[in-house]
Amino acid sequence: MHENAHRSAIATRSRTPVALAALVAALIAARAHGEATLPRLTNGKPDFSGIWQTTSAAEFDLEPHAARKDAPPSAGVVEGNVIPYLPQALGQKQRNFAARATDDPRLKCWTLGTPRGIYYPEPFQIFQRERDLTIVFQFGHSVRTIHTNGTLHPVDSDNEFWLGDSRGHWEGDTLVVDVTNFTDQTWLDRAGNFHSTALHVIERWKFLDANTIEYSATLEDPNVFSRPWTLSVILHRHREKNFQLIENYCYTLDYDEYYPFPQSR
Amino acid sequence: MVVARSSALFLSVIAFAPAWLFAQQDVRAPGGETTRWEHEIPVIRSGEWKGPRLPDGQPDVQGFWSNTIANHSNWTDPQGGEPGDTRSAPREHRAPSRVIDPPDGQVPFQPWARALQQEFAANLYNPVKPQYIEPLARCAPGGVPKSFIWHGYEIRQYPGYVLILFDSGTRIIHLDGKPHLPANIKLWNADSRGHWEGNTLVVDVTNNNAKARFGRSGEFASDNVHITERFTFSEDGERYNYVATFMDPTVYTRPWTAMIPARRRGVGEPPDGWHFSGALANAPGQPPVTEHYERICVENNGAFGQLAAPAQAASSSGTRP
Repeated sequence: MHENAHRSAIATRSRTPVALAALVAALIAARAHGEATLPRLTNGKPDFSGIWQTTSAAEFDLEPHAARKDAPPSAGVVEGNVIPYLPQALGQKQRNFAARATDDPRLKCWTLGTPRGIYYPEPFQIFQRERDLTIVFQFGHSVRTIHTNGTLHPVDSDNEFWLGDSRGHWEGDTLVVDVTNFTDQTWLDRAGNFHSTALHVIERWKFLDANTIEYSATLEDPNVFSRPWTLSVILHRHREKNFQLIENYCYTLDYDEYYPFPQSR
Repeated sequence: MVVARSSALFLSVIAFAPAWLFAQQDVRAPGGETTRWEHEIPVIRSGEWKGPRLPDGQPDVQGFWSNTIANHSNWTDPQGGEPGDTRSAPREHRAPSRVIDPPDGQVPFQPWARALQQEFAANLYNPVKPQYIEPLARCAPGGVPKSFIWHGYEIRQYPGYVLILFDSGTRIIHLDGKPHLPANIKLWNADSRGHWEGNTLVVDVTNNNAKARFGRSGEFASDNVHITERFTFSEDGERYNYVATFMDPTVYTRPWTAMIPARRRGVGEPPDGWHFSGALANAPGQPPVTEHYERICVENNGAFGQLAAPAQAASSSGTRP
């Protein structure tokens, strides 16, 4: 749209200089207004600090689905609707789906992974410095760091991290994060969509406005998918008065009755 | 100048004891680790902060830190080993109790609570009841105050927040003056409201679920406990003392105060897996950058804040995709 406006402005330059000046002024004003309303760090980069949560049903099933007893209906969040499984991997996905009531790692409150933690329906908080973004998830109180200080993935590339190793850079006002070094123990949703240790995620974080982030993740995994594919969700800022994360160490709930007071009194 | 240099004054100067006296206990950090065997606790007075500040005005105390007088084995006799350990140096050669008030160095338990603490301690190695199993060994957060005497940890600061990343647990200290959570919400890491007074971060801690113990020696609070913490940083930014006052009429006969000395880690130091488990980032052509990989525990079916361990995870998991 910018490009078109620019071209048409040039084409009309000789005939309507006043209109051109007005158009340029309007464009500059609109752009300046948009930039001014976005929160920014002192280095000028967008500041995503805040508490965020999706309203999508991505966690229940990334792909389109009608209502089920364990999932609200959703048109899905996958570009092109279908996750392109390799034939030999599709059977595993179907077995996972059939066993989802017992086998989902979420049920043990294990770290959800990347990108699942981002669209899980509990809030997460971003703390941001120039050198990194720290994401604290309410679910499991997991902590993920996205490094934005120009550092690279670890030299040893076979780390099996639950959240992956995240290195980000800025493309204009979009934060682009390259995530590798994954375990194969996490699922992508409650429907049993999965990946291997070869998973490579490229995230894009972009403000739509000061209280809304457009988040997308492109997933490639030559062991599981036939080609890279992309999911996208919208994240909303929590603006309730005094809103804060409340730690959810749900894996302690099976035994916390024993500790140490007053039950043992 | 109000703040004493950290090396200038000491609360307690204890006779030097040779390292071999303690080395046999220190199975996790062989090869010369000495931090956890400091015997002396520097005096750091509260006062003006003259060091670097962040853009929002907070004193900049970010980085990796660790306590200096042993670990969580024993709350009141930090270098005395776990309950029943008889290998320690004589008491006068060990660091003093973390309890600095009352002067006898003991937690002023009510009699029933003292009996319960002793029951925990006596059954540490004989956990015939579920409650005898140390919660941290099940990957539960270390809680307040034990997290400060567990592994080294990291402090990150932001406008309105101080974030402390422990190996087991994370504390978000709110500096914006919002009210505490409703009183019936009880948390492993409790609920923290802080503010800076010069060189001292003062934190009001409530909503503690009190399920974590203070050490393997079994000291505890109730979930009515109200803790006031003071983190007082030395002028050179290399040390701080944590001083916490515990008010809990359910369990104690009077308020009491603990001190945990800490020092900065990671500046040119090799990781030791205990006090400092950071790693050098892959940053070719840049000055050295220290970072910390993700902290994972329950997923690997093991305690002690392991990093990702693929072999163990694979063998212990029932959820291979």
